[in-house]
Amino acid sequence: MSEPTTGRTEPGASAEPDVPEVSGTTGRTEAGASAEPDFLKVSGLHAGYGRARVLQGLDFSVARGEVCAILGPNGAGKTTTLRALSGMAGGRGSVTLDGTELLGRSPEQAARLGVAHVPEGRGTFNDLTVEENLRIGAHLRTARRWRGRAERAAVTADLERIYGHFPRLRQRSRQAAGSLSGGEQQMLAIGRALIRRPALLLLDEPSLGLAPLVTRELFEIVRAVNEEERTTVVVVEQNARLALDIAHRAHVLEAGRLVLSGPAARIREDGHIAEVYLGVPAHARKAG
Amino acid sequence: MSTIAVTLGTDRARRLRAALTVLLAAAVAVGAPFYFAPFQVFQLTMVLLYAVALAGLNLLVGFGGQISLGHGAFFAAGAYTSAVMLDRYDTGHLATLPVAAAGCFLLGLALGVPALRLRGLYLALVTLSLAVFLPPLLKRLEPVTGGSMGLIVDKPQPPAWSGLAEDQWTYFVVLAVTAVALLLARNLLRSRVGRALRAVRDDESAAEVMGVRLSLHKTLAFAWSAMFAGVAGCLYTWVIGFVSPDSFSFVLSVTLLAGLVVGGLASLYGPLLGAAFVTYVPSVSQDLSEAAPGVVFGLLIIAVMFVAPTGLAGLPGRVPVAVARRLSDVAARRPSGVSAVLHRTPPAASAPGPESPSRPGTRASEPLTPADPETVGAPPRTEKE
Repeated sequence: MSEPTTGRTEPGASAEPDVPEVSGTTGRTEAGASAEPDFLKVSGLHAGYGRARVLQGLDFSVARGEVCAILGPNGAGKTTTLRALSGMAGGRGSVTLDGTELLGRSPEQAARLGVAHVPEGRGTFNDLTVEENLRIGAHLRTARRWRGRAERAAVTADLERIYGHFPRLRQRSRQAAGSLSGGEQQMLAIGRALIRRPALLLLDEPSLGLAPLVTRELFEIVRAVNEEERTTVVVVEQNARLALDIAHRAHVLEAGRLVLSGPAARIREDGHIAEVYLGVPAHARKAG
Repeated sequence: MSTIAVTLGTDRARRLRAALTVLLAAAVAVGAPFYFAPFQVFQLTMVLLYAVALAGLNLLVGFGGQISLGHGAFFAAGAYTSAVMLDRYDTGHLATLPVAAAGCFLLGLALGVPALRLRGLYLALVTLSLAVFLPPLLKRLEPVTGGSMGLIVDKPQPPAWSGLAEDQWTYFVVLAVTAVALLLARNLLRSRVGRALRAVRDDESAAEVMGVRLSLHKTLAFAWSAMFAGVAGCLYTWVIGFVSPDSFSFVLSVTLLAGLVVGGLASLYGPLLGAAFVTYVPSVSQDLSEAAPGVVFGLLIIAVMFVAPTGLAGLPGRVPVAVARRLSDVAARRPSGVSAVLHRTPPAASAPGPESPSRPGTRASEPLTPADPETVGAPPRTEKE
């Protein structure tokens, strides 16, 4: 087994950075061996805001039904990657989901194509009740409301499905979302994204501002949803250890470039990688 | 709305209560014109029609999170549509209503487009310019609008079978339209469109990633809102029987917005309270002195905003909360609650045990016994899983 090498390109190098592939066993399940390894395919993605260029050419793929973690320090471009995928940030290059180009679409169009983005800071609608929030998530499903009863019954069934994943939300279904705790709000945000069975779920820092216990519960639910519904998930996370626990593959971003890609299990086990890229001291990495 | 559901308990109890409220309100509304003098009936009619305009503004400002200082212009457009149709084409009164509504809906749709790019103060300014520029325009279009002289039109006449006086008949016509309009506004808000609208208000980008089409819903909010204002304007023509440019100065727009804020933004019955406010306050204060209305109106707005920042409609919800908070404040002033009182050492035997370090809110006369750790505070939360 070869020791992974760092893939940092020299400053000024314009060529495609050759990202080291960490070889080894696949992640937690065999999902990486899905029939569609290029379900989400990002190639040569450059993105930014105005003149500030954040992403400097990203290439990676996510297989259908896979959980992919994007890790890296602050300002590496993790959030921007997600924003480019959901149409909230413009960019060059190509991002295809199941063969359809996503770049250059508005967020609303991306949503129509099956992308569900749970933004950092959750973005729940605080003056709406929990159930209303979830129904907004099903906004697109009810688009042709005159299609009738069957469609509305389907939404009700979806509500039940979400309450099944997040029993706490059922207890609070009539409460204003603003009155929920941070963890419950994050659950609501994820539930709201899941209700229309997205093709691609994007999670941006789901652990932000939450107690460790709540975060763990949340990640377990994401893992369960991924396993039960085969939802493809891209999760951006500061807490590398947690993310690697549920991910099949992981990519490490630094200064807008991928510096490392590989099966999550390998990255988790490899003390050197953890220490160099993820800020996890070698002695702490086994603690979970 | 959700808090009401929680405090009233079950769905059935809630529905029963709502049905009773509606019945009672309907009985009062129908009985009122037989009880009050004609001028008072006229005032009630004005309250109702202003409520329609405020309900429309509420869709935009309260639930849509946008702002308009130009709703007087939509009001005027509806009023003039009705007046011109009655004056020049002699259509019946009822025929003017759908035309005014549809016309203002389209006008609102057109003016909703700038609202896509502007927000806050900028949007307020653009809509204000609309309100400022309309009266001179109406004066200019003299052949159609009658210029500064305005137009005098017939009021709806009570049919012989009803046996009602003119003011009573007008009241009932306006009541019917208002009831339908308010019901429509309520259902609109509970529909998919209304949910999307409120979602956009709470967090635009989050709504967008849910697949809500921002441009559509923001423009539609303007259009619906303008439609309600236009209907109110149309009713105004029926009730007053006279329109002139000076009736629709930009002060009207400001009054509408003030009425809505005083009544309660994003509340279903706030518009009714706000309408009562803008109708009665000027007329009551007129009795005090000639110069009083403006002063009283202004002072009352300040007073209401001070006492009830969420408007009159929010007052019933706030009072119990405020009382509860006051009570819990009193309780909190005894820092450790009941248990501290129970464990309090009598003053005579206060010598043993070091005085606990003074915490904010601890009364010196109530020394805590050190053997009572759970009263001092919750144990520190552990970060360990």
